[in-house]
Amino acid sequence: MIRLLKKEMKLAASPLSYLFIAFGLMAFVPGYPILVSAFFLCLGLFQSFQAAREANDITYTALLPVAKADVVRAKYLFCGFIQLCYFVLTAAVTLIRMTALSEAEVYRSNPLMNANLVYLGFVLLILGLFQSIFVGGFFKTAYRFARPFVMFIVAAFLVVGLGETLFHIPGMAALNAFGFAHIGLQICALLLGATMYFALTLISIQRAIRNFERIDL
Amino acid sequence: MVLCEIKNLRKTYPSFTLSGLSFQLNAGRIVGFIGRNGAGKTTTIKSMLGLVHPDGGEIDYFGLPFSRNEKQIKQRIGYSTGAVNYYPKRKIKDIVSVTRMFFDTWNEEAYQEYLSLFALDENKMPSELSEGMRVKFNLLLALSHKSEILILDEPTSGLDPFSRDELLDIFAELKKRGVSILFSTHITSDIEKCADDILYIRDGKLVASYPQEDFRKNCCEAGESIEEAILQMERGANI
Repeated sequence: MIRLLKKEMKLAASPLSYLFIAFGLMAFVPGYPILVSAFFLCLGLFQSFQAAREANDITYTALLPVAKADVVRAKYLFCGFIQLCYFVLTAAVTLIRMTALSEAEVYRSNPLMNANLVYLGFVLLILGLFQSIFVGGFFKTAYRFARPFVMFIVAAFLVVGLGETLFHIPGMAALNAFGFAHIGLQICALLLGATMYFALTLISIQRAIRNFERIDL
Repeated sequence: MVLCEIKNLRKTYPSFTLSGLSFQLNAGRIVGFIGRNGAGKTTTIKSMLGLVHPDGGEIDYFGLPFSRNEKQIKQRIGYSTGAVNYYPKRKIKDIVSVTRMFFDTWNEEAYQEYLSLFALDENKMPSELSEGMRVKFNLLLALSHKSEILILDEPTSGLDPFSRDELLDIFAELKKRGVSILFSTHITSDIEKCADDILYIRDGKLVASYPQEDFRKNCCEAGESIEEAILQMERGANI
């Protein structure tokens, strides 16, 4: 599996996938819907799928002494690795905003979503939707990805919209807490996001393996 | 010794059926798999490599069923669909550096030897190579992990006559080194030049399977070439 991951990174990946990890820094930007950065990261991953398809990556991989199921797992592993790098970066920025910058006026007067653990929970939900809708959809054919990506865009922006509106609803303002206020609620939201991410990813992997096994290359 | 045995291979598409193909690939033989475009050569070869799922039949290599020993068998066989058509913008050495990780039997000495024999430049990208050189690059990858069997789908298609001739000479040289080859083609002169055994497929059915001499005896009339005999059979089938 590690060899397949190395293959993904050395041959199949688009440089944009690595570059777009830097969008994790967008959590510093005030007055911007920061959840969109998770979508941008997925856009970079989409570029890798596009580059791999154009380079006949699946044909090459099929020549290798590997199981078809591992080909699928390696793609998920690569996406998971890039997502992890991004998540660590955006989590670090979030922690800075929750501590050193928690009283900064520029963020206090920000009408949009605040960077806190709830934000990280929403980020994980978007990343899980990418695994489920886009990567899972891609492995139905192993070459068509426009439709799954459009479906992912719709789902991702619905989540962004949800994240940006939820805390405006009376009684739910705590979701946009600053610093460590309402920390119990923040942790719950993060755990919920993490659960959704792992559930969506694991279910999607199983489904993608089944679909890919049936495909005639 | 039988290296590969196909029994009653079947695959049905909406507009095409591969009907119960059975044949063997014996050690130290070059098998030419001939048939017109759309006869079922690529479907057969892809089925032999698990790229296409057959509806029925058995595929064994080295006495082992392919379906249950795919990883192990792929370590011992090389496969190519004509020229390299993957990673056109990556350097050969980068593709090789990744490929060698997957093969337990990768032999660096053999790699260097074939690299030199095929006059390939590691710093070039597949997109910078001619069609013939890209076929050779595919062969290089297959031979560097000591493939005992090469399965090549139309390796000579798209090559100029000189490159084709050169490639067929390479096949003969590989045979001397103990490599068995199954190659598909629709060019009969390729078969006449180097195949020990001939498999002739038409409309998804194996019409003839003989050593070349027996093919001539059974399918060619006096003075008739293999090409003429196959053309006659194709015309006969179309009447």
